[in-house]
Amino acid sequence: MRRVSSIVLALGLVVGLGVWGCRRQDASGEAGGRTRLVFKYQPLWGPPEPFRELLARFERENPEVELVTEALPNASDLAHQFFLTSLEGGARDFDVLVADVVWVPEFARAGWIADLSAEFPPEQLREDFFPGPVEAVVVEGRTYAVPWYLDVGVLYFRTDLVPRAPRTYAELERFAREAMAKTPGLQGYVWQGRQYEGLSCNVYEALWGHGGRALSEDGRVLLDDAPAREALAYLRGLVERGVSPATVTGFSEEESRRVFQEGRAVFMRNWPYAWSEAQKPDSPIRGKVGIAPLPTVSGEPGSGALGGWQLAVNAHVSPERRKLAARLIAHLTSPEANRVLALNYARNPPRPAVYQDARLREEAPFIAGLLPMVERAKPRPVTPYYNLISDVLQSEFSAAVAGLRTPEAALKRAQRQVDHLTGEGP
Amino acid sequence: MNPRGSLARERRQAYLLVAPAVLVLGGVALYPILAAVWLSLHRFILVFGERRFTGLENYAYLMGDSRFWAALGNTAYFTAVAVTVELLLAVPLALLLQKAFPGRGLLRASVLVPWAIPTVVSARLWAWMFNPEYGVINRLLPGQDINWLGAPGYALHAAILVDVWKTTPFVALLVLAGLQGISEDLYKAARVDGASPWRTFVSITLPLLKPALLLALLFRSLDAFRVFDAIYVLTEGGPANTTETLSIYAYKTLMRSGDFGYGSTLSVATFLCVVLLAAVWLRLLGREEAA
Repeated sequence: MRRVSSIVLALGLVVGLGVWGCRRQDASGEAGGRTRLVFKYQPLWGPPEPFRELLARFERENPEVELVTEALPNASDLAHQFFLTSLEGGARDFDVLVADVVWVPEFARAGWIADLSAEFPPEQLREDFFPGPVEAVVVEGRTYAVPWYLDVGVLYFRTDLVPRAPRTYAELERFAREAMAKTPGLQGYVWQGRQYEGLSCNVYEALWGHGGRALSEDGRVLLDDAPAREALAYLRGLVERGVSPATVTGFSEEESRRVFQEGRAVFMRNWPYAWSEAQKPDSPIRGKVGIAPLPTVSGEPGSGALGGWQLAVNAHVSPERRKLAARLIAHLTSPEANRVLALNYARNPPRPAVYQDARLREEAPFIAGLLPMVERAKPRPVTPYYNLISDVLQSEFSAAVAGLRTPEAALKRAQRQVDHLTGEGP
Repeated sequence: MNPRGSLARERRQAYLLVAPAVLVLGGVALYPILAAVWLSLHRFILVFGERRFTGLENYAYLMGDSRFWAALGNTAYFTAVAVTVELLLAVPLALLLQKAFPGRGLLRASVLVPWAIPTVVSARLWAWMFNPEYGVINRLLPGQDINWLGAPGYALHAAILVDVWKTTPFVALLVLAGLQGISEDLYKAARVDGASPWRTFVSITLPLLKPALLLALLFRSLDAFRVFDAIYVLTEGGPANTTETLSIYAYKTLMRSGDFGYGSTLSVATFLCVVLLAAVWLRLLGREEAA
């Protein structure tokens, strides 16, 4: 019996760590007449100086502010966990935070991020930014964050193996087969089929390509409908028909990029980051890669999933700091700042006007060339429940793509679980 | 002075001395468990501050939750296969380690290396090796193009392989300790009687090793039942949740989705399973000790 109780004790410790909430204290405040403003963000890969200069300029223009930056874990779900626990605990030790596109409605509804409609009216955002990111940050007519930089799913193709970028799914398959027939061992189309968030992006892109929508008119997450079934059947079919390798169900971005970069695949779906890798001097496919919008059933340019980060203000901080925080956001999301991020860190500007900039066109032609894709980018379902349900989406999408369940069965199960989680079920 | 009074005082003193320990135990062991049980009776979505008492609703949903049953099945399968293989491998390994030969110390130390490497690190290494495109395992199997971590059916076995690789040395160590407890005289007597090595093993080593084996079985199966880190790094529970264990399901529900109500329900369910398993093994062990 004593042994049972010691096991119980050990387990209790483990459970306890999970349950124990932690309250945080206000760590920053007034320091020597200057207000400390804390900016929490994920590191931008690249030379540190240009970004540091951008922050320093804000301090020069606002001498009353002492700006402090703090890094977040470089994994979106870990960063989300951090905010989940600290903002729920009423943390006031940071003012400005970055939010992934799918977080804003959730944080807004939780009351964790401040309403910025006064400083950034939604109409103004609609004028200045692309529609996709605006859709992701404006919740029920109020602005809760400002787009900082974007990411979008695009199609990579081998210019030496296919005549041009395919416009329809049928064309993609035909081109892939023709190239595969000529070169043994070549794979057709690689994408991200592993059970994780990247798979959801791939599925939603296919869903839009089949004419589907992510949300119904009344904001319900739509899964069990014809375009969703067709999208999953299409992705599964790629594997079954051998256009995509069976191993694609274990791929995330890097696995697919490696296969494509080694010259072993005709097409790849990925984010723009893969471009600079493909163009490195020692890359076997350097100069043989084209980039295009994703194909669709109809042949219209497809929509890529919108990724990227937005800046929001911690709703728990004092009104004065909130005001300064909004000013920092205005500075960091200005057209000049967009340009700094694009030129030095290859981060796509969320403002269409910046793409017309002569310097950007000359120094970063690739970024400028992404304009047609960025214009059409769409966010995954914009709902406060997204993080709550994304895990269900990932597992059921994975089941369909791996051939464990039919698309019909997977979507029925997903819809049932999603309705339960959102409280809309029976 | 009357002796009964001093006895009462002594007893009071004893309670006083034990009290801090009881309080600490209550705080760190009992409170969290009760809190988890209490939470599991709510619909509690952290993000939305939504918290209302729903009674046994979560448990009713759990009963019909095919994902939970699948996770329970995966966990049980993982535990059964991994622990069986580990025990089967550990006994010959321990016998080998017990033999006196040059370099034994070095071998004993090096066998422990997989166990000493943090699980997350070794799981990351294995994930690279399992990679179907450029991993070393498919290169070693010419003509094979096995999708280790992406195909249902393979992924869980890949995870079992990683667990076996990692914890067999630990089990071997437990068995080795048991072997060293067996008196040398018994072996001498067996030799005098002309018993074959196999006969010696079956009639002397194995029966006397039984307590050590049962202890290893207890440690390992409780450990394996809560498996999280290795599988999380290898597959995150995919593909199609075929490698999702109870711990991973509970973690995802609690920490990723922020659904504390149902997440707690899953934790409580896992806890009950582990307690049940522990009770069964302790029963067996107890009987062994009594015998």
